[in-house]
Amino acid sequence: MSATSGAAGHAGETSGVGSGEPVREAAGRRAGEVVAELEITRAWLVDPAAGREGPGEIVVSNGVLEAVTWLEGAEAKGVGPDGVVVAPGFIDLHAHLREPGNEDAETIASGLSAAAHGGFTTVCLMPNSVPALDEPSVLARVRAAAIASGSPVEALAHGAVTVGRAGEQLAALGELADAGIVGFSDDGACVANPTILRNAFLYAGMLGRPIIDHPELAELTRGSEANEGYIASVLGLKGWPAAAEIAAVERDIAVLAEVLRDEPGARLHLTHLSTAGALAAVRRAKAAGLPVTCDVTPHHVGFTDEWLAGARRWAWEALDANGAARDPWLDGALTAGPYDTSLRVNPPLRGPEEAAACLAALADGTADALATDHAPHTLVDKEVEFGLAANGISGLETALGVLLAAVDAGRLTLSRAIAALTTGPAAVLAGWPGVVASGDIRALAQPRGLVEGAPADLVVFDRSDRWRVTPESLASKGKNTPLLGRELSGRVLLTVAAGRIAYEEGAAGA
Amino acid sequence: MTLEIGASGSPASPVPEAAIPVSAQAPAWRHRHLLDVDVLDWSEIELVMTTTDAMREVLARPIAKVPALRGRNVTILFYEASTRTRVSFEVAAKNLSADVVNIAAATSSVTKGESLVDTIRTVEALGAQMLVMRHAVSGAPYLAAAHFGGSVLNGGDGWHAHPTQALLDLYTMREHLPGGSVAGRKVVILGDILHSRVARSNIWSLTAAGADLWLCGPSTLLRGFDRWAAASPRIPGHGRFQVTSDLGAALAGADVVMALRIQRERMAGGLLPSLREYAARFGLTRERLAAARPDVVVMHPGPMNEGVEIAPDVATDPRSVITNQVTNGVAVRMALLYLLAGVHGEGR
Repeated sequence: MSATSGAAGHAGETSGVGSGEPVREAAGRRAGEVVAELEITRAWLVDPAAGREGPGEIVVSNGVLEAVTWLEGAEAKGVGPDGVVVAPGFIDLHAHLREPGNEDAETIASGLSAAAHGGFTTVCLMPNSVPALDEPSVLARVRAAAIASGSPVEALAHGAVTVGRAGEQLAALGELADAGIVGFSDDGACVANPTILRNAFLYAGMLGRPIIDHPELAELTRGSEANEGYIASVLGLKGWPAAAEIAAVERDIAVLAEVLRDEPGARLHLTHLSTAGALAAVRRAKAAGLPVTCDVTPHHVGFTDEWLAGARRWAWEALDANGAARDPWLDGALTAGPYDTSLRVNPPLRGPEEAAACLAALADGTADALATDHAPHTLVDKEVEFGLAANGISGLETALGVLLAAVDAGRLTLSRAIAALTTGPAAVLAGWPGVVASGDIRALAQPRGLVEGAPADLVVFDRSDRWRVTPESLASKGKNTPLLGRELSGRVLLTVAAGRIAYEEGAAGA
Repeated sequence: MTLEIGASGSPASPVPEAAIPVSAQAPAWRHRHLLDVDVLDWSEIELVMTTTDAMREVLARPIAKVPALRGRNVTILFYEASTRTRVSFEVAAKNLSADVVNIAAATSSVTKGESLVDTIRTVEALGAQMLVMRHAVSGAPYLAAAHFGGSVLNGGDGWHAHPTQALLDLYTMREHLPGGSVAGRKVVILGDILHSRVARSNIWSLTAAGADLWLCGPSTLLRGFDRWAAASPRIPGHGRFQVTSDLGAALAGADVVMALRIQRERMAGGLLPSLREYAARFGLTRERLAAARPDVVVMHPGPMNEGVEIAPDVATDPRSVITNQVTNGVAVRMALLYLLAGVHGEGR
């Protein structure tokens, strides 16, 4: 069966697609192959770079997006945003693919498969591998693994700020920048020492690279298990104060503001913000014109700390009409057992008010991007007592589904959701002068849109087609997600990266 | 009318005096595990109380032993040092003629190198049918229950829950309060609420019992309980519960005062300036107790730091029922082992 008819079939007959379980290997075409011929008719196109969405058709030929046609009038009739959607490929600024060092949890190959299954065509790897990515030889190893995987998904990498992420001595920042890393982060840990942070801003600024900080005052969170508040009190879990994040964010911004006088290239990106206070600080910094960007994660937008007690309703469902948190013990929301370690994550899942602030930040652009903080773990590291479990949620494959749940609930527009996964993170990358100057990053070669004549880089998903999250349906080796067993809307049918097949849903008779 | 019940599934005991006097009208027990009191409705708490009455009767006999759990393996797995609770469970299980295996796993699963789940599977393979467990990490018994084929009885997990303590406290209060009910009675729990599994489980059972519950202590050891307290009056059938650092207000007219242990390590985290200052401001003394009702019931879950959270003369005051708590602890644990042993297959 030709590529053309297969994909066109997806687009044209929403009801017949994906009735079975997803099959990873698409019959006929293999991941990595150039898309010879692909035509998607009567779909809903979302082009956040052009600020446009509507009924349309695309044609890909020999890996190039040959034609983007917007349908109007009678032709557009019956094509809505609730069916098959075509959007630019997603960019994840923050993913842990665990190689080298923890290949039992994830490999670069399995992580890139997961990315493609989630609609991502570019992922930025975090440097907390073992050994840490604090010198070019580790980057070379990561690159070799990415190439060997055969995946067309672009694997970018962040380097460590300090040697071994130990927070004491600057890593080989210049060599890492020369070798092609995009940013510096000790993620997993905050850059605790403010003098080191200040010098890192100066030096990385000279290189045109950002400091991507994981904002957490460790002195406030030692031994912490769950967001400080009602839920932690009832469950007897040690509280994790919001102030630990807010104070670190305000410190980072204050240090940056001063450094900028000496080094105008300094940049700060704050990752996985989870509190209204931290987002308010970012909003103020942006208003003051400081080069600060930030991201929020799907889990801090969609899940809340009441999930630790056994609730499973979305964050926006946990607020009452007055915007106050509902009580899961009083309203029968506890449908699962307590202490599920798939919910243990850093920063912790917060209350519904904080989750609402994360969603609002995505809607108003305070949060520049949605980043998955994809953190796969083995069963060995998760099937333990809650307080001893590893932090992290496997998130690349469910990020879209969580955002679409917010869209379905009327809490976010489809175009904002797509922008948070595409133009948002692309603009963050484009704000880093050294990254732009290096010129070798595909994700920046063109605006994140549906651009005729450019290599096809897109995702096709069906909002009317739900899929169940199961260990088998996840390509990631990390099955550690509290969404297991749950149905999400927006099954990904096809992901094309740089003109090549990254993922194709294969159950539709291709 | 009494019903004679031997080990479940076996013929009733041939020894008449070994019978446990349990009312035949008692509702069925539906829980396979007991991880906290939050899952018990009021009729179930009453069932535990009446079953405990029956066990008290057994304990009063010259030979305080019944064959109810004969042939049953009760494994006591404690990951935290404990004398009082562990021995109490052991005595309770032996009084019911169970075969008792004691495992003192004094280290966490991480330092020991074997996971909790592996340990649970091993213990089950060695024949454990009921597992009494104590663990320093909140929620650990829920993990155990998910992997254990028999019944798990929580002997205390982290800061979270200590259901047998809460039930023995309730039993002891009813025994000593005029009228035998805590409904409408002012009950004060005084001390380190933040780190206390005893306080947390007591919140569920005492508000269910309709007590006027007060939690009192320095603000560093109370934080986070305000919203829980604010929610408590809205729970149907539950009494109020409030949080204060004003010891005078808490003790005024109190019917029951329970002091909690203050641990020395609380000083290291900056939670308290000193034990001396704690004793001076929050220690339960005769003078302070004068603000309570004259017949106030004084309790402590033990072990006590006499001279810190409770003055020695208060601990031994005629109004103190601290040793009764210990005796009732054996009876309550017998009752719970007995009730859990009767449940097979379904249940939660």
